[in-house]
Parts: sequence; structure tokens; C-alpha cells
Amino acid sequence: MTEEERLKFEEQDKADGLTRGDFLKALGASFAALAASGCGLRPPKEKIIPLIDQPEGAVPGVSRWYASTCGGCEASCGVIVKSRDGRPIKMEGNPDHPLTRGGLCARGQATVLDLYDNQRLKQPMEGSAPASWKAVDDAVVKGLDSAARKGKAIRIVSRSLPSPSLNAALAKFLKKYPTAKHVVYDPISSSAILEAHRSTHGRAVVPHYRVERARAIVSFDADFLGSWISPVEFTKSWAANRKPGEIMSWHAQFEPRMSVTGANADLRVPLRPSEELAAAVALGKLIAGKVSWTGPLPDAPPSTVDKALLLETAERLLGSRKRSLVISGSSDVAVQVVVNWINEMLGNYGETIDIAHPSMQKQGPAGALDGLIAELERGEVGALIVLEANPAQDQPRGKEFAAAMGKAALTVALAQRRDETAALARIVCATPHALESWGDAEPVSGVVSLFQPLLSPLFDTRPALESLLAWAGQPGSAYDFVKEHWRTDVFPRQKEVHAFTAFWDEALRRGAVSIAAAAAPAAAFQTGELARLKSARRSTGDGFEFVPYPSVALGDGRQANNPWLQELPDPVSKVSWGNVASFAQADAQRLGISEGSMVKLSAGGKSLELPAYVQPGQAAGVVAVALGYGRAEAGPVAANFPTVKLLPIDREDGGGADAYPLAGSAWVAVAAAGGSVVLAKTQIFDSQTVPFTDQKRELLKETTLPEYLKDSRETDAAKEAADENGLWPRHQYPGHKWGMAINLTSCTGCSSCVIACQAENNIPVVGKAEVRKGREMHWIRIDRYVDESKAAVGADVAFQPMLCQHCDNAPCETVCPVLATLHSNEGLNMQVYNRCVGTRYCANNCPYKVRRFNWFDYAHQDELQNMALNPDVTVRTRGVMEKCTFCTQRIYSAKFGADAEKRALKDGELVPACAQSCPADAIVFGDLNDPESRVAKLAKENHSYRVLAEIGVGPSVFYQPKVRNRRA
Amino acid sequence: MLAVLFLGASAWAAPAPSEFQKHAALFMQKCSKCHSIGGGQRVGPDLAGVAGRHDKEWIVGFMMDPDSYLQKDAAAKKLLEENHGVRMENTHLTRAEAEGLLEFLKAASGAPPSARREEAVPADEPLFMKVRMPDEGRGVSMPGLALLLLICGATAFAWQSGSRAGAGLLLVAVLATAYWTFGGRRYYQLLGSQQGYQPVQPIAYSHALHAGKLGISCFYCHSSAERSDSAGVPALNVCMNCHIAVRSRAGQKEPSPEIARLVAAWESRGKPSSKSIEWTRIHHLPAYVHFSHRAHIANNIQCQECHGPVQTMERMRQASSLSMGWCISCHREPPQSAPTHWRRALGPLDCAACHW
Repeated sequence: MTEEERLKFEEQDKADGLTRGDFLKALGASFAALAASGCGLRPPKEKIIPLIDQPEGAVPGVSRWYASTCGGCEASCGVIVKSRDGRPIKMEGNPDHPLTRGGLCARGQATVLDLYDNQRLKQPMEGSAPASWKAVDDAVVKGLDSAARKGKAIRIVSRSLPSPSLNAALAKFLKKYPTAKHVVYDPISSSAILEAHRSTHGRAVVPHYRVERARAIVSFDADFLGSWISPVEFTKSWAANRKPGEIMSWHAQFEPRMSVTGANADLRVPLRPSEELAAAVALGKLIAGKVSWTGPLPDAPPSTVDKALLLETAERLLGSRKRSLVISGSSDVAVQVVVNWINEMLGNYGETIDIAHPSMQKQGPAGALDGLIAELERGEVGALIVLEANPAQDQPRGKEFAAAMGKAALTVALAQRRDETAALARIVCATPHALESWGDAEPVSGVVSLFQPLLSPLFDTRPALESLLAWAGQPGSAYDFVKEHWRTDVFPRQKEVHAFTAFWDEALRRGAVSIAAAAAPAAAFQTGELARLKSARRSTGDGFEFVPYPSVALGDGRQANNPWLQELPDPVSKVSWGNVASFAQADAQRLGISEGSMVKLSAGGKSLELPAYVQPGQAAGVVAVALGYGRAEAGPVAANFPTVKLLPIDREDGGGADAYPLAGSAWVAVAAAGGSVVLAKTQIFDSQTVPFTDQKRELLKETTLPEYLKDSRETDAAKEAADENGLWPRHQYPGHKWGMAINLTSCTGCSSCVIACQAENNIPVVGKAEVRKGREMHWIRIDRYVDESKAAVGADVAFQPMLCQHCDNAPCETVCPVLATLHSNEGLNMQVYNRCVGTRYCANNCPYKVRRFNWFDYAHQDELQNMALNPDVTVRTRGVMEKCTFCTQRIYSAKFGADAEKRALKDGELVPACAQSCPADAIVFGDLNDPESRVAKLAKENHSYRVLAEIGVGPSVFYQPKVRNRRA
Repeated sequence: MLAVLFLGASAWAAPAPSEFQKHAALFMQKCSKCHSIGGGQRVGPDLAGVAGRHDKEWIVGFMMDPDSYLQKDAAAKKLLEENHGVRMENTHLTRAEAEGLLEFLKAASGAPPSARREEAVPADEPLFMKVRMPDEGRGVSMPGLALLLLICGATAFAWQSGSRAGAGLLLVAVLATAYWTFGGRRYYQLLGSQQGYQPVQPIAYSHALHAGKLGISCFYCHSSAERSDSAGVPALNVCMNCHIAVRSRAGQKEPSPEIARLVAAWESRGKPSSKSIEWTRIHHLPAYVHFSHRAHIANNIQCQECHGPVQTMERMRQASSLSMGWCISCHREPPQSAPTHWRRALGPLDCAACHW
């Protein structure tokens, strides 16, 4: 084409170049005008801009996976991150990680949304004004030098730092400034475990609990499946031993509130925190009698727990010596000492409890900040550096810390966002997200993993490690420092690989390495402390015993501005967007309050107001409140703004109340504050009994181990019969027939699948007001049912993931007037968005209530958050129905991959987001037509059942009943 | 044509299918983007009879490690010069693969011409066959419809105002316009279709030259089409594989201004002012639709079936309507003009195959 031709073309284009917008205007004006214009229907002018120099291996439109470490909390789980065209869009558990072995919790998966949060700090700040890194460094170094010259103290505050490299950088810093000291605290502390091991084993460590080896687990208020230390690892290990018919561990939980761990226990005993010591001592004495314990016996008042239950517990533990585990989440050192003693008698040290390779996830000693606050108040601290922590908020003395901060001449906060502490600091150094920077972690001694950046920092941030190095006078990049530290410190700790490059590359590829750490000699058990046991808790007081706890959704609250997590309902209470004060039924009656009544909790001059919640199974005399909510400076999401600003929705009442100020009080006074609110609950009923008829529908089947082992085929026959009586001709599935099996015995209710689905399928967040109207959009939800008839004490709570059942005779399909929901010949119940006109008949006709309607356009107003969207899945618009697709995009992607390789699909190749994320491996997906597939075998299993199969809809999701290891 | 040749060759070598086909596939995957066997010079030399031109060890060595040969070996350097300085990329072949490929090349170039050209197109046809688009010639002309309504109105007005003759005349015009609107004319559009869209691009890139005259395989530039849902537009480094040496049109001395734009964009790389080429997107799928290139290519769908005779297009245009009816017509049954060797599964008809 000559230049002349080209110009002609261009001219012609200009002549008939009507845009789509113009076209619509023209259409509105008249047809005649349209005819005259020459009918230019032009597509939107969209550009395709290729990379200039495409890196080798990068293919547009193909996702790549990189192994890294989760930066959500100190548990430092292994992750693989999906990167699509340079954007990380999904976090999944890394199956190669030695501890977590695949699976990731809800909070970990939600960290990818934190990356694209516009509330993050975008550059370093001096006061409230943006500054340059050079200016910030100069000011910090000047302040540090001045403090050092005057002999004033320099203090670095952080949470536990499991990172070897960061600790090495910190050591360099501390070396340069002799008056500097590192103060470690944990918002959710395990200091009592540290203290107890100091007194019983001479080492202040949190041991590595080998839950996978334990056949009998007794937990005194340790929510190890929900939030305690390393829940993903523990869930993986726990679930591996919960296979009725093969291996079934026994699990008892003594706890004040109803945690997910308690809900999954075989024996659950509601117990006030102050009663824990007596119960543990009573249990210990029963065991001591059987193992001929010759040492001193601890002294405690008689336990309030039913003797028979304690006897059973002792018997189960003694039946699995060296294969049992007693743990406690108590903050009372006395309880922890007794727990250590029981473990010692059972021979668990060195077996299920690894003290030689301890956990690094919780290193904060008791009262770590008390000394610092005193120093600050006395004006002894010249420079205070807060290293990615928030002590002005996430600890009981936050207010005092905040007030004392001003006494230091230099206050520096290294933070990702302007949180409560950063807001008060004179200098704020913006740090990058874990997906933007190099780093490492050693969560358990001998397991070292790497953080690798998935994209270059979105904002002008600098890793904390680089800041410390710069201030220590040895500036360098985080990558160089981490790599060099691995060369000099991590690499020599192992002997298998001889070349560092090979070692590093393999560590980077796998995400983590397991190195045989030199084990410290196991110290003998010291009995001294047992005789002079003294509980820190008062057993009597005014009002209620106060149990603050990290929730499954928000943990300690550092991700409070994450909309996915705010909308994630608590698995037990089903309340989203805020916390509640939960009471036992008897207490609620006594106080004359019911669900939603506002109550005021007060202690030591501090108070907070919260809606009440009545929790079956909770210990009487206890009020439990989740931490992490109600933060003042976390951002608009935590403050609970209306999600869709343009709608006439008033600002909702706040997102809960901050319970940290009261967290140091063992007892609180409770008073009705007057008034009540409607909680944003996603499930408003507790029982499986149908109202009015009192007929019980067994949606969630629960049984005991002896019952389970008695083979019965009845249920099977019943469900087949229901299928035959269909009104419509049956569908034919010539090729695949997709199905799912969900094991309710393994499912802990941790809700990781809910967030996995949300991330994978671009599911919108609707906000508190909409959740109240029952308009939440989760495609998979965790139903929980409460049964007060079967539990020995309190109540049984069980969980059931509920998603589209992809029925063979789907009731939704027959009522759609526009054929927008149809059946595929692979058994999928399809939803065609562009056909849907929003009659919502299908949702009305769905017996499982899994269909979700887009009442509004929920597209993000924050365009940065759009970067977290999965380009493989449509973003739905207002007025269409949506629901679980069994991750169609993954099915087709796997099929296309198999097609290209000219082979059949392999079983297990196709993993929907929910199944991938499940730390308990409760969800299995596959082809029901392939008799060799795992899902087909599970579907044929005697005990498998389908929810509401009796109404003849022919669901494709098979559930295995919840089995509890109980005698009869 | 390459596909035709290759398939012809594989038909000829039927007795030993496994080894032969394996290496034929390898050739298609790794070599065919630049080389033909008996199809003439492409980006690289024609490989027919290559075994006679060099000794076996040299060829195998060169295939495995072109970089060091091109640096040191005299014969390789001469070849580089003959091929306008376009270096062969390292395809990371193992020795076994390289030897197998050489055997395949021997067998394929030794095939009798008649067998190789079994299904070749007649000489006067363009290089690729023209596939008739299923939607071609169907639909409603929008301007026609507007005009029809207008004349209908005029007819009614004429009848009302008593002009019987005028109304009769206009009625004839109504019939003529209706014929034109509803199928009498060959070229018009479905409502909302962008068929025929042919925007001016920032560089007057000619598919007719690259894909047609030079015979460069589609996958040389659109390499992600085989691996990704998206066919992608080549990154500039792919263009620069050849244009590092080729700066002017064939037979011309002065550099081409079009290539100069490409080179300018390439040389801006790494700089803060770097700017890639901003192509105007031609093919738009409606919302809620997913299309996977790799799935179609894995099932032997030729690019031209949807994109039309790209190798004849000076300026790229949208050849098909990309409407759902058009997709489905092919999923129901392949076009009748499709050659028999395009053996493939029928496409799925489930909604979820495309809508998710």
C-alpha cells in the first residue's frame, strides 16, 4: 500500500467514522438521519498495545504461577500466586510447602485484594506531608544519631518476626546503635506458652505441634483450626487423621465460647477461662494415677467439669500415649504448665510436640510493651521505630501507647497503611505488600521459605528490610540482602545440595526448603513449678468473664480494610460486617437481652458498646467478643461505608467495636445499653427442623463412629428411588458428568472456600445493608446447624458448605421464561448472563437457595481494585442472576490443555477454586462418569448422601456425613 | 500450504506412523514457522534435501546449538548472510529430537511430488483457500431498512392524499427496496455486526506481504494462539527478529517509513518515554462470551476459517460477523468447503462452552 492509498483510507475512515455513542444519538433522532449518515456502526476504539520486549516464557492470556509465602500473618504459609499478564490475581496454597502442604486460609487468600487497596500508603510521609526517601532517611538518621549521642534509648517495636533476613538486618541496625533494643509483642499472644516452657524445659519457646501425629487431641481453648498459631497447617494435619473407617483421631475441646475448633470436636465442654486450671489439674491427676507419676502434684480447687467426661478424656489420652496432644490457648501460665506436665506424663515431648525445632510464629513475651510504655512515659526513649506493627491499636494498652509515643523525639512507623500508629508517627515509611517485595520466613525452625515479588511496587514504597539497612549505614537491595543471607546462613545449614545457585533456584521454584536444623538437646522436664502453681486469673469477679478472640474472618484485625473479609460471615455466628458480644442462653435470659440488643461492656474505666448475640453452647458467665473490628484508622471499609455510594443507602452503623482496650481485663461488667440493631447475618435459623410442621429435614447428616461403621444401604436405595420418579425425561451425559463430593467430617467451617470462590469468580461485595436483606453474593456459603440434643454438654454445631448442586432435574431450569438457565450435556447447570432478564423465578424455585441476584451494578468504584479481577470470568451487571458454575473456566481451560496435548483429561486435573483452597481436603471434584475417579468412588460410598435427594431434583453434589468419634 | 504439504507427507509415510508423526509434529511446532519442505524460501531456507547439502553431524549440531555455530562456523555464517542476517533461534532440541527431525526431513523431502502435492490448491488460486463465511449474504441492511420505512410512510401519505398513481409508483419502490434490504444485495451487515471493519492502523502492516507473499506462518507472530485463549499481537521483539536486518521494501534502497516507526518504538524500550505500537482492535466479541484460540487450533481449525483470507489482505479487516449464529453454524457442522483432512470433533453446543 502506498502512502497515497493510506491517506485515502484514512480520509474515508474519518468520513464515515461514527462512534457508537453517536449512533445511539442518531437512532434517537430519526431513522432518516441514520440512513443519510451511511450507517456507520463502528466498534469502540479499543487499542491493543503489545509489549515491546516480551520476556521469554510470558504468553499473553496465560496465567503463570509463582511460589511464595503468604504475608497475611506470622504463620507464613506457603502459597502459589497466579499471575495473569503481570498482575497477581489469586493466592492458593502451595502443595510443596513442607508445613501447609496446600490449602490456605480465608485471610491469606484475601491478601491479594489488600495489594490493590487504594488506602495503602503511596509514598513516605513526614507528618502528613509527602516526602522523598532521601529526606526521610536524613531525618531518621539525624534523629537516631541525636538519640545515640544523648545516650537516649532507641526502641524498635515489631510483632514476631519469623524472617531470618529481616532479623539479620535488624541485628546490623542494633549493632550500629548500642542503645537500641528490639521489642517484640504479639496482638494475639502465646506468651504463656513461652513462659511455661521456660519454667518446665528451660527454653522460652513455642513448640512445633505435630498435630498430624496425634491420635487424641485435647485442647483447652486453643482454636487451632480457626486462628491459633498456624491454623492452615493444623487443619491439614488434623483432617488427615479424621477419616472414619481408616483412621479417626479423638478430639476434645474445653472452651468458653463456641469456636470452629470446638464445633468440630468429638467432646466439647463449655468452660469458663478461670475454670480451666482446675479442669486441667483434675485431668492431670487422673493421668498421674495411671502412669505412676512420682513428682510433685499441682494443687487446685476441685473441677466443675463432670467427672465422667474427664475420665473419658484421660482414658482416651492414655490410650494413645506418645500419640496424643494436649494444647491450650490460655494466657494463664499456670494452665500452660499443667498442660506441659500432662504432655510429659503422656510421653508426647519429642513425638507430637517438637521442642527442638520450635515455632517462630509467636515470640512476643508477656507484657512486652509494658516496659516500653513506661520508658516512653519517663522520656527515656529518644527514637521509636515501629516496624510493620500497630501497637497503638492492637494491644490492650493501645491508648496509653499512643499517648506516650509523643514523648519520643523521633517516631518512625514503617507501615503499609496509615493505621492508628502510623497516624501518630512523625515519619512514616511506606512499605510494600508481601507480593511486591523480596523476603523470607522461617515459621518453624528448619523450614525456610521465600517471598518473591510478583510485580514491581505499585506505589513509591520501600521494604522495611531496605530501610533498616539504609539506617544502619549499609544500604542495599532486599533481593541482594536476602540472597546473600541465604548464601551465608541458610545454605550452609544443609548438606544435600552443594552448589548455592542450585539450592537458591530450587528454593525459589518450590517456595520453601526443609533443612535439618541442628536440634538443641531436649531438656528434661523440670517439676519445680508444679508445686507452686499460681493462677493469674481470678475465679470470681463482678459481671462476666471476658473472652476476646481473633475471629476467623479478621484475625487480629490488620486486614480490617479488606471488604472480602468484612463480608465473610463468622462461621459460627454467621454475622458479617462487625463483631458481637456473645452470651450463653441462660445469661441472656437473666440480663433480659436478645439477639441484637445493645450491651455495654466496661472494665477499668474503659467501655464498649456492641450488639448482643446468643450463642448456644457457650459457657455461662462468659462474654466473648471478636477482636479486629471497629478500628478507627483502618479505612473506609472497616468503618463500613455503603458499598454503592450512588444508592440512597444511609451510612450504616459502624463496623463493630474495638475490643482491644478491654482485652487485658479478665472480668467485665455488662449492662443493657438500650436499643437494638438487626445483625447482618447470612443465616437466620439454627436448626434443621422445618417451622410449623416440626418435621426434621436431615440436610446435614451427623452420626457417631460406631453407627458409621455399621454398614447400611438404606439411604442409598431411598435416594435412587427418588431419582427414578422424575417427571421429566432424564438427561443423557455421553461424555463427562461433573460432580462433587464434600466430606463433612473433614470440613471445619473455616470459610477458606468462600474467599477462594470470591477471588476466582469476581464475586462482588454488597455491604452491610444488603447483607441484612439477604442479598449477599457468595456462590458457596457455609451453612451451620445447631443441635442441642446430641452433645454431652452444651450444643453440637456442624458446618455444611452449600453451593449450586447442579441438579439433574434442576427446578430452576424449568421455570426460566427466557431459557437463561439450562442443562449442559456434562451435567452442569448453566447460567447464561446475556439471556437473563432477571425474573428471579429460578432463585425462588431453587430448594438450596444458592442463586444470587445482582440487585445493583457492584463494579468497583475503586478502579485499582479492578486489577484483582479474574479476566477469565465475566463481571456480571445489574439485573442478572448468578451462581456457582463448578468453575467452568477451569473446566474448559483444563479441557483445552488436554486437547492441545491430544490426551484425555486426568482425574484430579480439574480442581475448582473451593477444592483447591480447602486446607482439610474436604472437597473432591471430578467426572462421575469415570468409575475410576475419586469423586465417583466417593459418590458410590455407602454413606454418601445428597441434600434433598428425596424431592427428586437429582443433585450432583455428594456429601459424606459428619462423623464424631463418640461411643454410641 | 504448509499444512497441506505436511499432511500430504504424513499420508505418504503411513507405514511408520509413530516416530514419523512425532517428528512431523515437532517440525510443525518448532521449525515450520520459518522453514518449509519443498515450499521454497521462507524466513529461513527451504529444508527439502537439506541432508544432501551438509553432513549429518553438522546439521544436528547446528539444530541443537545454532548460537555457537553462527558465531564460529564458516558455513553457518555464510547461510546467515544468505538469509539477510536473520539468526535461527535456539529451539532447545535434544540430540534424539534433532536426529529424528533430520530423518523426518529426509523422508519428507524424498516424497514423490505428486504425493506431497496431493491436496495442493490449483496454481491460479491464492495460497490459502477462500472459505465462504457462513453468515455471508445473510442479514438485514440497516440503511435499506430505514429507507424502506421512509418510503412506506411516503406511500401511505400519497394514498391518503389521493394520489393513486404516486402511491402505485412508490409501491414499486417499496418492493425494490425490500428486495435490496432482505437479501437481494450480497454485501450488508447483521445488526450490530462489525463485519468488514477495517480501521487504519498506526503502521501500514500488510498481511498480504508477510503471510501471503513471504509465506510466514501465522504462528510465527501470533505464537500465543497455540498456547493461550488470546491470539495476541506480537511483541515488538518478534518483529525485530527479521526487521533488525530488514529495513526497506524489496527492491528499494531507501528505508521504509513504516518499518522506521516500528524501529523507533523498539528503540524506545527501557526508556521512560518508551511507547509501543498502539494497534486498533478489530475483532470484538460481545460481552459474556469467551473464545479460546488454542482450543480451536488444537482441533485443526484453520485461521482463515474465521479470519478470512488474511494472506490476501493489505489492511486487516474483520471477515466474519462473529455473531453467535455464525459460531454455532460451524459447531453444528463444519463448512462444506472444509477439506476432508480437517478431521475434528464437532464443537460443543452447551451455553457454558462460551458463556461464563
